[in-house]
Amino acid sequence: MWTIGFLIFLTLVIGLGAYFIFLWAVKSGQYDDIEGPKHRMLDDDD
Amino acid sequence: MLRCKHCLLPTYESEAIYDEQGNVFCCEGCRGVYNLIHQEGLERFYIDRKWEPQAGFKGTELFKGVDAREFEALVKADDKGLLGIELYIENIRCAACVWLNEKVLHRTKGIVSARVNYATHKAQIRWRPDEVGLQDILNKIVSIGYRPKPYSESEHLRQQKSETRDLLIRFGTAAFLSSQLMVYTIALYAGYFQDIDRDTKLILEVIALFLTAPVVFYSGAPFIKNTVIGLRHLHFTMDTLIAVGALSAFVFSIYQIIVGGKVYFDTAAMIVTLILLGRYIESSAKGKASEAIGLLGDLMPKEARLLQNGQETSVPVESLKIGQLIRVLPGERIPIDGQVVEGQTETDESLITGESRPVPKQINSPVIGGSINLQGSILIEVTKGPKETVLSGIIEAVREAQMRAPRIQGLSDRVVGVFVPLILLISAGTVVGHLIRGAALHEALMTGISVVVIACPCSLGLATPLAILIATTVTSSRGLLIKGGDVIERVSFIETVVFDKTGTLTRGMPQLKEVLVFASALKPEEALSIAASLERHSEHTIAKALVEAARGLNVYKTTDVEAMPGKGIRGLVEAKEVFLGNRSLMDEQGIMVSVDETVISDFQRAGNTVVFLGFDGAVKACFVVADMLREEARPVVERLKGQGLEVCLLSGDNMRTTEAIALEAGIHDFTAETTPRSKQEFIRTLQSKGQRVLMVGDGINDAPSLTEATVGVAMTRGTDIAMESADVVLMREDLWLIPLLLRLSKKTYTVIRQNIFMSFLYNISAVPLAMTGLLHPIIAAAAMAISSLCVVGNSLRIRRL
Repeated sequence: MWTIGFLIFLTLVIGLGAYFIFLWAVKSGQYDDIEGPKHRMLDDDD
Repeated sequence: MLRCKHCLLPTYESEAIYDEQGNVFCCEGCRGVYNLIHQEGLERFYIDRKWEPQAGFKGTELFKGVDAREFEALVKADDKGLLGIELYIENIRCAACVWLNEKVLHRTKGIVSARVNYATHKAQIRWRPDEVGLQDILNKIVSIGYRPKPYSESEHLRQQKSETRDLLIRFGTAAFLSSQLMVYTIALYAGYFQDIDRDTKLILEVIALFLTAPVVFYSGAPFIKNTVIGLRHLHFTMDTLIAVGALSAFVFSIYQIIVGGKVYFDTAAMIVTLILLGRYIESSAKGKASEAIGLLGDLMPKEARLLQNGQETSVPVESLKIGQLIRVLPGERIPIDGQVVEGQTETDESLITGESRPVPKQINSPVIGGSINLQGSILIEVTKGPKETVLSGIIEAVREAQMRAPRIQGLSDRVVGVFVPLILLISAGTVVGHLIRGAALHEALMTGISVVVIACPCSLGLATPLAILIATTVTSSRGLLIKGGDVIERVSFIETVVFDKTGTLTRGMPQLKEVLVFASALKPEEALSIAASLERHSEHTIAKALVEAARGLNVYKTTDVEAMPGKGIRGLVEAKEVFLGNRSLMDEQGIMVSVDETVISDFQRAGNTVVFLGFDGAVKACFVVADMLREEARPVVERLKGQGLEVCLLSGDNMRTTEAIALEAGIHDFTAETTPRSKQEFIRTLQSKGQRVLMVGDGINDAPSLTEATVGVAMTRGTDIAMESADVVLMREDLWLIPLLLRLSKKTYTVIRQNIFMSFLYNISAVPLAMTGLLHPIIAAAAMAISSLCVVGNSLRIRRL
């Protein structure tokens, strides 16, 4: 029983972490340009 | 044929410009850009770029400068003393363009950061004001062949964006919680089959309860709010169905925890999540379309050059008063209605009145705000206040039409309007039935609620948005921008197609139609190349038509060229004095016109412009120039008629020109000399007869009728006002897009109907089970999953067109 409780707790904590990262990503505009980074990545001269 | 090294435009050998390495350029502008990119060591641009072979640039754009004053309102200062601006860069086509702009800006001294958004083509630039000025930055962008455009988001667009972002957060939250919820739900499902001990079951159920609550009450809050508002008027919408479904599943599950039954939290959460996904797709597609359209239009002038006490100052158009003097340079839009007091010119009024020919203006001629000054610099006296101009009258008519336009309900909303009360009745009947049978009150009540739970089809939320998303992806790749999902539904019912003439059925700019030669020794090509050599020095639309027609022909050396506004042009071609212009120029210069007058006047009456070429004391040739029908116009009209549609033509131009064009296009129902108001009236009359009308137009004069029509389609060459009032914008000037739009809409609408049918089918078929009180969570989940899969699969069929 204790193990299940612990695992449940763990999933919720990890999930919540992911959720906050998602919120941050939306608010800081990470979804505004989803095309550009893949090209910028290959630009190696600076 | 050669190709320009920079812009890839096909270039004739006679016009090509070469540099020391033997590279070919179409113009000095492109050579300059190429040199600059080389000097900066950024040649990689030419390797990385992915341009269509027919790329090219619009006209003489490369030479035109940009005025920093237009951008000043957008500059924002930050706390570190840096200035920043967000502007739109035109002509960006691929990742290499983004790279080039960023690199060049980065290397400019004083610029701290420059970042160009690949998807929206907007640049964010920050710089130190003491080291570099805004004008220098803009010039830098222009110098590499791109055009910065001032761009500030409209209030409407900003709202749209924040709504999309809000939906994304609500959807993200719901999706995250649903995925967590799924873990516990699967454990519970396993429990139904293999048994589970009571305590564990209770723990899992309570956790599920806490995970579902935010989905229903936070993510689903907009649905609940709209339901409360709607119920006050007994108005059932999609939101009602979602809110009632999710809430009843939630309440029913809490009851089940208490009595120790089976829970339906996953149903409640999935309904909200899937519907939010649909709404998010819809909203972001809509935002993208309206943003793209916002960038297309030619902006109406917002500032005017006011002449006061011998000084010119730039003032907002709204502040102009009657009697003030303003200066308008060639190529600019006239900002306000007025009267010419100094100078001579011709104006292009085609977008305001539909008149296809340039209108000559002398002193005392009235000019209309919004028309384009083609030739000379003029001084005009303001004769009407900014609120009483022709232009503002048209905008007013657009507003009125917008207010009157009924919100046409989408099909799914109409279905739901019937479905919700029906389900509520069935559920009430179930409660009564179970009470009569002698069940306990709470038991009967909960069986009734379970009917609502199972009847709520969550794939319904995807049925329309998904089909429309796929349809709009298909259309935008072909050059059609559709402003909203409801447009597709409306297009599929169209019965009449109304075309505007100038710029829609015709090209909207004059083209050479015929060359008449009166000297036996002169060949038509020879005459044309003499004329084009002269006209190369003019910006006039007719000059452009001749130059365009003479591409690839010999170019003579011309000197001493002088434009004569309202008359024509003169110059020395190979040291011989040549005149090119209208009849009065010939008479004035004493050039003998030994031409059959009836031929000329016949051409003129049919709406053509005749240009005379005279040298050695006599007229040697005439050029007949006219706004010609688009090549595809006739077959498109035939196709539309073949589909059983009525086709009409409306034009602001004179009767003769309109008739000639209408017959050429094969349209028998046409009306000439219309005003913006009478066009609108025409559409309204058709609609009052029960016709559903699709209007295609481009000008400001079409804007009210575009709004009034069931569906308005605007051409890209149009103005921002026309594009704002239209529902669909053609990104390419190709009339074939209209039959395509009709066909695709019909198909999409069929798919939407099938989707709605399927999403109801699975859920309704489970209703009898719920009525008997035998509902199982597995059945609810299965109905949901199967109907969603079917909807997705069916929608994908639209791509195969």
